[in-house]
Amino acid sequence: MLFAKQIGQQIEKLSALNASLAEQVADLLAIARKKNARIVEDFFPGLPDGPLKETALAIISAWYLGVVTDAPDAAVFTYAYALMYQPTKDVMTIPSYAISAPNAWSAEAPPLSNMPEF
Amino acid sequence: LNATLWRQQEDAQMATDQSADVVVVGTGVVGCLIAEQALDAGLSVLMLEAGPRVDRSRIVENYRKLPPSIRLGHWDAPYPPEPWAPHLETRRAKEQEQYLQLEGPNARAYLQGYVRYAGGATWHWAGLSWRITPEDMRLKSLYGVGRDWPFEYDVLEPYYTRAEYAIGVCGPSDPALQWPANTKRSKPYPMGPIPFGPGERRLTEVAAKLGMINLHAPQARNSGAAYDGRPACCGTNNCFPVCPLAAKYDASSALPKIEAKGGKILVNAVVYRIETGEKNAIEAVYYFDPVKRSQRVTGKIFVIACNGIETPKLLLLSKDERNPNGVANSSDQVGRNMMDQPKLTVRLELQEPLWTGVGPVQSSSIVGTSQGDFRSRYAGALFRMENFARSPLGAAAALKKGLVGKALDTEIRRISACTAQLTVEHEILPSPDNRLTLSNKKDWLGINKPNIYYDVGDYVRRSAKEYTVPRLQELAAGLGATSFQLSPEFLNSDHIMGGCIMGADAATSVVDPDCRAHDHHNLFLPGGGAMPSGTALNSTLSMAALALKAGDALVDQLRHG
Repeated sequence: MLFAKQIGQQIEKLSALNASLAEQVADLLAIARKKNARIVEDFFPGLPDGPLKETALAIISAWYLGVVTDAPDAAVFTYAYALMYQPTKDVMTIPSYAISAPNAWSAEAPPLSNMPEF
Repeated sequence: LNATLWRQQEDAQMATDQSADVVVVGTGVVGCLIAEQALDAGLSVLMLEAGPRVDRSRIVENYRKLPPSIRLGHWDAPYPPEPWAPHLETRRAKEQEQYLQLEGPNARAYLQGYVRYAGGATWHWAGLSWRITPEDMRLKSLYGVGRDWPFEYDVLEPYYTRAEYAIGVCGPSDPALQWPANTKRSKPYPMGPIPFGPGERRLTEVAAKLGMINLHAPQARNSGAAYDGRPACCGTNNCFPVCPLAAKYDASSALPKIEAKGGKILVNAVVYRIETGEKNAIEAVYYFDPVKRSQRVTGKIFVIACNGIETPKLLLLSKDERNPNGVANSSDQVGRNMMDQPKLTVRLELQEPLWTGVGPVQSSSIVGTSQGDFRSRYAGALFRMENFARSPLGAAAALKKGLVGKALDTEIRRISACTAQLTVEHEILPSPDNRLTLSNKKDWLGINKPNIYYDVGDYVRRSAKEYTVPRLQELAAGLGATSFQLSPEFLNSDHIMGGCIMGADAATSVVDPDCRAHDHHNLFLPGGGAMPSGTALNSTLSMAALALKAGDALVDQLRHG
């Protein structure tokens, strides 16, 4: 994805709340490498409950929401590249971006199973 | 405020003549329509705006920088107020209590959002532009409740048409699908309707089976083509809090036109007093600049159009020896009869995908339910499905479940498609007890904050119980809902009306049929405040029509005395 590296760096920078972040990321990467993980499902089920798993979920949440913590004062590190818009991008626009040419959108409801590629 | 910038602005303001034929306080839709009309008639116009003038790109950027949980439902958040021009802020619970002082059984339902920026509340309005019906103007005669308007629909109709062309309203050409249905119009809508997305199409089918007609809403949004120098709607699904394209009319896009015609606009000028003189004519208005220096502005005609809360507040603030209850208030009706459409919302979970979020955030409504003989007993109402993109809600809910990977994406897609929000907005009756007064609490400039007592009344409560909630349940069942979460109390609709109520009798109303104050021949108070009935429908087009009617009257008055 475009700008993935920059967005990742932003998440890291904004995660000042978690002093152990660097260490935990290293641990998570080590687990993922050990399992030859290509997607999150390859290693996530093996994570023990506790801080490491919580951090993994927080990182995933940040990628989807574009904020580290969704609080009223949170700094947004990405709007349009937040992953939350991707699973519905075949139907809905990212609000404030045009969906189509004037009046050219569709009233057809696609099935849930047509998950877009992203 | 940056000192150099401030000095430049001050110099610019001082260079401006602080007098005009027509002085307009407020730069929302009402003020802008009147200003343009007066300029077209060859009159000089000076507009005063309490807040700043901000570029659209800045508002869009402010919006995108909001955290996801604030982007929906906090329409004020991209519009941080200047200290001297406060308005409601809802980002944090504590902020919410700062400006509007609310009391009464339904205080929560008067938490009105409006923007004290050049352009006013049209910045974040939905654009829905309903006419009211002939019956809506005769509640007392037909149903024995509320008040009648002092004129009939035929008088208002040409102004509705002019308003539709002035702000660019799109709508159906088939008279059966217009509102009021099959009623004479002097001209068709300037543009055809905006197409439905999947959710709206589905709701329309479901409603039809229940005998309810979901109409394409007439809306001040450019449909399929540019209009009046603004581009066509491209479905950015962001009508509120801001249309990034200006495809939706907002008064900020009218300001350059006003300036091109010679109108002057002073921003950051907080009018705090209206001065009366001989024969109780208005002589001047006074404003504070951001460093609290007082300035006096004179004129021949004064138009106070700074919204349904700020206008009565200013009249009450201006009491003097001649007008001990406040300017325009010999009837004691200023600030009374405060209305809105008390709203209930219901969140639905559905078995099948509905897919809202395609097209404008509001683009259709069921309005036939606002009419009927039942109005002698309880309120009519408008039903609507909110059409905003639900992907952020889907993501937040799916993440809370601790899902990852494909399971997370699948759940985001499911929740985004298979949830909905229905809304019902009720007609409230004008009641003298629903009253705006001056709070003892002061704002940053030392001006009293508005205090409002609000009770939606049994008329609305009975409607919810006997009529609207059962109809919501029918709609929900028709959509295949598996869960139905009704809002626990009535909410605001941001359609502020009634505080300067219109009537033929000076003893019981504030303004005459041209929105001229009964007490002051050169003071006009047009807009929602003048409306004698609130109806269940969005108020802006009626406000715009009343503005044009007032504009005709004031132009005529200056020409012929």
